Amino acid sequence: MVDQKELVKVAKETLARKDVKYIIGYKKGSYGFQTSAAFAYTPKDVEEFIFTPLCNKNLAKYPLKEEKLPLKRGEEEDKRKIGLIVKGCDSRAISQVIQENGMKREEVVLIGIPCPGVIDQKVIEKRFPNQSEITEVTEIDDDYVFTIDGKEQKIPKQELLAEVCKTCEYPNPVLYDIIIGEEVEVNPKAEYEGIKELEDAPLENRWEYWEEQFQRCIRCYACREACPLCYCSTCMADLLEPQWIRRSVNISENTAWNIMRAFHLAGRCISCGACENACPMDIPLMELNKKLGKEVKEMFDYAPGLDIEAKPLLGSFNPDDPEEFIK
Amino acid sequence: MESLVISKENFPELINTIIKSYRLFAPTEEKGFSGFNIIKDYLEMDLSYLNSRMPPKAILFNQTETLFLMEPGAKGSIKSKAISNEKSAIFAIRPCDAKGFRIIDPVFLGDVIDPLYKANRDNSVLIGLSCNQPDSSCFCTSFGDSPASGKYVDILFTDIEENYLVEVMTEKGKNFVNNFGRFFTPAPPKEIEAKNAKEKEAIKLIKRNLKVEGIEEKMDKMFNHPIWEEYAKKCIGCGTCTYLCPTCHCFDVVDESTLDKGARVRTWDACMFPEYTMHTSGHNPRPARMHRLRNRFYHKYSYFPKNSDVIACTGCGRCIRYCPVNIDIIELMNRVSEMEL
Repeated sequence: MVDQKELVKVAKETLARKDVKYIIGYKKGSYGFQTSAAFAYTPKDVEEFIFTPLCNKNLAKYPLKEEKLPLKRGEEEDKRKIGLIVKGCDSRAISQVIQENGMKREEVVLIGIPCPGVIDQKVIEKRFPNQSEITEVTEIDDDYVFTIDGKEQKIPKQELLAEVCKTCEYPNPVLYDIIIGEEVEVNPKAEYEGIKELEDAPLENRWEYWEEQFQRCIRCYACREACPLCYCSTCMADLLEPQWIRRSVNISENTAWNIMRAFHLAGRCISCGACENACPMDIPLMELNKKLGKEVKEMFDYAPGLDIEAKPLLGSFNPDDPEEFIK
Repeated sequence: MESLVISKENFPELINTIIKSYRLFAPTEEKGFSGFNIIKDYLEMDLSYLNSRMPPKAILFNQTETLFLMEPGAKGSIKSKAISNEKSAIFAIRPCDAKGFRIIDPVFLGDVIDPLYKANRDNSVLIGLSCNQPDSSCFCTSFGDSPASGKYVDILFTDIEENYLVEVMTEKGKNFVNNFGRFFTPAPPKEIEAKNAKEKEAIKLIKRNLKVEGIEEKMDKMFNHPIWEEYAKKCIGCGTCTYLCPTCHCFDVVDESTLDKGARVRTWDACMFPEYTMHTSGHNPRPARMHRLRNRFYHKYSYFPKNSDVIACTGCGRCIRYCPVNIDIIELMNRVSEMEL
């Protein structure tokens, strides 16, 4: 794990740059195992920065969420950069957005941290539901170590590790300006192992499975809002004219929403799992995203978010394409 | 108020008898969390839960409600939805969620009466179940309530090991219990004491406290305070907090149609969505997340108490537990409370 002092030092140096307006990192949360995004404007703010196995939110969403309100008379737009702490997946998200022209490279300063994987918030909170005291977790060898009611807990890493991290192919930032900490060894486990069982199931069973999942959807759009690749200025789900997806919350409209979102992420999802973490109804959204990711990889040998110069998969074509429809 | 007991041995039969004459909503386990569903047998019920993921407000105030159906053309017609008068009982509702109904009653049963909510409310008996195991995000005690409060239900059950103590709180509750009189016996004092002991233990488990005293006056002076912007920065603007809240009651009305028929539909709305206040002109009086987040907290802790004399928050803790970015109403409101102005 990265040394907190070094993190603060690097963040302070970055914040001191004239062309940086603020830095987004992590700080302690308000209770239990929570951590929170931290927006640091002053060196004092930076001192709160942490990086622990509980830093499981994808901060790449925040530069995209920055609100550009109409300027007041005489006011000038602040064009300075946003500093951002990125893990492997966060850096891929930024890289993919840049590739799609959703952001310019010069808008951000990226402080990369090689990531040994993060804890699944839902799993740890389910296991220790009464932990209201702010709890720090450290990773020691292959265990997570923390204290509950004065008693040291030592839990094997695999029991708490987020599903997406178990099969992460890019734990080291792919895009960064500064990097802190040592490179992490890449997990040799196949990325799409988790969806194998579902893939092998008969069609009717799969349909039944997803109907059961989507039935629960409450259309709070937490998946969309947490996802760093969902950054359309107007989402089609919000349109009334035409009304692509109705407001009624029922299996038909919920399915339309979830499938539509999954398709819009095909060849774009960078497997950070933010949607699934955010879902208050525990819908396994990453199973859909992984499946589409796998199709894309097998058909086009393409993985998103690795190269800012590459063409976005669905924004490009090849005249030699073997498919008939392209001719 | 009357206190009765029912042994756990007789309890399954009671539930199965209620099912014969009432539509019974009770917590069931679905995919590792709990939700209120209509049950057809005692065995479907799961009482090993802290609270349902979705608040039972969804039973009386549906997330999607068709108001009327329409057919266009010269012979076009409008068909109103018949209001159901089916008798329902909601079993094992937690005191905090029951209070949610008391809070939203003035909205739907105030100057203008909402016929759908009224019918649902009138036809439902609220049977509470005391919380013996509150968790780290529970804070009902901050509002002077208790995890074993019978104040907002018709009947309150409390698990006291071998028996349930059954406190009948209202006339409606009394009529209900009379239908099933053979299951209950008057409660001996030691059973009432057992409940009190359970209640004390449960209260002890609630570790977090939201300092509500004087908060409304404080907020009167804080509309332009930078704290709202600070929290809005990390808010991602999803609807989790509002949809999971037992007191949030905003709705949207839209027409949904196919080529030859249509429906006017009422669905829940969330003040954290930009389009919540979007005008037809394109102007939005709450253009930034800060405006929306501030409104949410002001509505609960300032506007609502001004209008209805009650804070629109029950301390159920769902918005804290399920917020994807750790926006914690206790932390925020305590900072407001302690603010020196």
